[in-house]
Amino acid sequence: MMRELFTRLRFLVVRRPKGDLDEELRFHVEQATEANLGAGMTPDEVRRRALVDFGGVERTREQCHEQRPGWWLGTVAQDVRYALRGVRRNPAFTITVIATLAVGIGATTAVFSVVDRILFRALPYAHGDRIVSVGLGQPLERQEFTLGGFFFEWRDNQKPFESMTYEMGYGDCNLTENRPIHLHCISVAQNFVPTMGIPLQLGRNFTAEEDLPHGPRVAMITDGLWLSRFNRNPAVVNQQIDIDGHLTRIVGVLPRDFEMPRLQPTDILQPAQVDIAAQHTVNSGIGYPMWAFARLKAGITVAQAKTAMQPLFLHTQQWIPPQLREQFQLQIRSLRDRQMHDAYAAAWVLFGAVLVVLLIACANVASLLSARGSARQRELAVRSALGASRGRLIRQTLTEAFLLAVVGSVAGCVLALILLRIFIAIAPTGVPFLASAHLDPRIVLFAVLVSFLCAALFGIVPALEKPRAIALAGRQTRSSANARLRRVLVAAQIGLSVVLLSGASLLVRSFLNLEQQNLGMETRNVITVHVPLNWEHYPSGFLDFYLRGESALRRLPGVNAVGMSDSLPPAGWNSGKRFSELNVAGKPPTLPGVGGTVVTRKVTPAYFRALQIPIVAGPGFTEEERTSKGRFMILSKELAARLFPGEDPIGQHIGEAQFKPYFSPGPISTVVGVAGNVKNAGLSGDDSPELYELATNQPDTWSLHHFFVLESSLPVAAISPLIRSSIAQIDATAPIEVATMTQAVSQQADRPRFETALLGFFAFCGLLMAVIGLYGVISFVAAQRTQEIGVRMALGATRMDILRLIASDGVRLILLGGIAGLGAALAAAQLIRNLLYHVGPRDPLTYAAVALLLGLVALAATLIPARAAMRVEPVEALRYE
Amino acid sequence: MAPSTDLLQGTLDLLILQTLASGPMHGWGVAQRIQQISKDMLQIGQGSLYPALHRLEYKGWISADWGNSENNRRAKFYALTATGRKQLETELETWERLSAAIGLVLGREARA
Repeated sequence: MMRELFTRLRFLVVRRPKGDLDEELRFHVEQATEANLGAGMTPDEVRRRALVDFGGVERTREQCHEQRPGWWLGTVAQDVRYALRGVRRNPAFTITVIATLAVGIGATTAVFSVVDRILFRALPYAHGDRIVSVGLGQPLERQEFTLGGFFFEWRDNQKPFESMTYEMGYGDCNLTENRPIHLHCISVAQNFVPTMGIPLQLGRNFTAEEDLPHGPRVAMITDGLWLSRFNRNPAVVNQQIDIDGHLTRIVGVLPRDFEMPRLQPTDILQPAQVDIAAQHTVNSGIGYPMWAFARLKAGITVAQAKTAMQPLFLHTQQWIPPQLREQFQLQIRSLRDRQMHDAYAAAWVLFGAVLVVLLIACANVASLLSARGSARQRELAVRSALGASRGRLIRQTLTEAFLLAVVGSVAGCVLALILLRIFIAIAPTGVPFLASAHLDPRIVLFAVLVSFLCAALFGIVPALEKPRAIALAGRQTRSSANARLRRVLVAAQIGLSVVLLSGASLLVRSFLNLEQQNLGMETRNVITVHVPLNWEHYPSGFLDFYLRGESALRRLPGVNAVGMSDSLPPAGWNSGKRFSELNVAGKPPTLPGVGGTVVTRKVTPAYFRALQIPIVAGPGFTEEERTSKGRFMILSKELAARLFPGEDPIGQHIGEAQFKPYFSPGPISTVVGVAGNVKNAGLSGDDSPELYELATNQPDTWSLHHFFVLESSLPVAAISPLIRSSIAQIDATAPIEVATMTQAVSQQADRPRFETALLGFFAFCGLLMAVIGLYGVISFVAAQRTQEIGVRMALGATRMDILRLIASDGVRLILLGGIAGLGAALAAAQLIRNLLYHVGPRDPLTYAAVALLLGLVALAATLIPARAAMRVEPVEALRYE
Repeated sequence: MAPSTDLLQGTLDLLILQTLASGPMHGWGVAQRIQQISKDMLQIGQGSLYPALHRLEYKGWISADWGNSENNRRAKFYALTATGRKQLETELETWERLSAAIGLVLGREARA
């Protein structure tokens, strides 16, 4: 067989001398002639007979030629050449198909790549799909957490899990060696690494002894820290580093793709060294807060685990004060669900939008190819009459479709790369994993395959039909089945783009609402300064730093007001109380668990001036009150209205409940003012009533997380260096973060802006393609009916009649597709309901605008070819073809 | 593009190989020989003969060489190669099995 292969290969490479075959055949004819001569015919007659016997010399030559191995390669080249010629002759058609394919593939691939990372990515843990988050859910914090008092009880008595572990949030820590840096240190249980299934790059996990209270100081470091600080030197294991002034031994290096299950930034893991016995005494007897994760036993579902854990939870509920017990629930869900808490909805919307775009692209390519196929029926018939076999015709059309698909795919991949870059560039930081999204070859393959299938399927349809003799007769034939298919496709495209457009318009409107809403404060010219202090430098508290900072900032030129606060609106709140914890003196207490939550903020008097929050009643805080021993409050309008309906709140006294023991009467404050409402639960959240407490000069009430809020008449670029130098004079080692309030607010809108931009982009692509499809079909129909138009005009039809004739076709498609699309859009809008802000999913204005826009654009796409048909000269039209 | 012959597909190859088994021969000779032996029953259409010869040559079962014919004309002579000989054996075997099978189906004893 090897020899046979060699022979074939030889013939593939070596061409036969061209005259060879001719000579061989000539010899044959001569032999035949001689043989017949012997039979006594005249030489001419003999030669004629021989040739007749032989049959077509040309045909034999062809057939001999076709025996050559690899012969078909030549015909492929021929097909490609032919296809290229056709493509060049029809640039508009070609560009449209390629652009459609490119947008379809590009958009699909880019978005799938993004969404894939969010929805379907594998967690970087060996047991990723069996890891669940276990904890308590309650209204103040919907992301479950747990407490030491509960966790160890659960861990020691549970059945559904192979193992349970916890981490204790992140604390700031500083690497205090020669080049001090600020790090994120996280305390974890000893079994954290094995439970999650994290393969260490180097070294070992903590030992049980190292996790005991007052155990040796050890740490595992992340790959990022290993690289930046130790240049990936393997000798780092067993090295000692200085963390917050304590010598700590590095025992292991975490893998490159390591991430904490709650995705918080991490540099160092340290053993939690929790005193388990103390968990029933510390923190009012409920233990330290922690976040628990567990690995399900094989074959146990999340629901089963929840059922199994319920009795344990009910048992541990006894530690929750009875007033709050009702509010707490056991929450167990897969880690993926927890991580994607609210990114799911957006991801699915994107996913749906991109599928719709892909559908529209396919429908568009299909109808374009089908239209072209119909137009070429005559050509196919001619080729068939000249001897091309059916197989050859099919191959020819397929070659053309594939050629288009190949170019479209390449363009699509390039577009996908560009789009992905753009997505990552404009994406808010809150979208998890987006930065690490890359083009997934599987997804590229999928999109390319879809487009090839689509091209093949619809490219081949016209060639499959037996070329009809009538097509040769010079009359244009209209294949009615193809025509109907194209109409359905165009109507479907219009319908789908209505869905996309309505979705996008709803998001745009909701985004505008979000941007333009009244925040209740002034953000222009407001600068925020945050200084993450090193607590080890401030053994006697932070108050002194803030007071010195305040007076230094007040001396800066152009600064009109300097306030301080422990948190900033409009972000979701940092601290809060239950409404029921507030007791108005002289009134019966509110029932526990009633009234929701209240945002609390500790601020200085100038806070209101800096943000221009109006004090609508009362004198407000004064500078003198800061040094007094009294407690003062300002209520937001909403809170005042709820606590004191129809009364004057100024001068009233409010007691705050204490937690030791629960809901015992606590300190009493005097209400000195009512302030305007300010957005305080994110831009789109439902606002909570707000309570301002005066930040007095008592050292223990100041944390290292306070903000300075400045109202400045100088631009931020000019004043920022001044701010930095004056803070550095107070603490040279502290990092300083300067931002404008406008930035902070606009960051809050990043996520909706991203979603809106993406969906808007898709809607635009979809509309564009649908319009191209409509235009293509109408102009094709118009061209096909040119002769008919000529006849009609010759018989006395006016130009308006012709316009009506052609346009009515398009209008019918627009109406059909539009109405079906509106129905589908209304249904689809329910899905994005949660993403909308102050606009209903059935907002009539939006739908009217979409219908109007689509109607106008589609009508234009119809009228242009219809007008061209109207201008046809009857004489020319009659001669047409 | 089916060969214009009434012969069973593949039979022509067998006939050519068998004919060439007796020695190298040019195309005309092969056609004449088949016609003679079959007592004019099988007339090989030249339109199928040459494509078949070329196909067999490409497969490496026969080789071609220019030589002089009996009347001293330059002619292309085909000869069986070693692979061709082996191929002939297998094809003969297949043919015998096939004709025996057809005989059985038609209800006649295959005559040995």
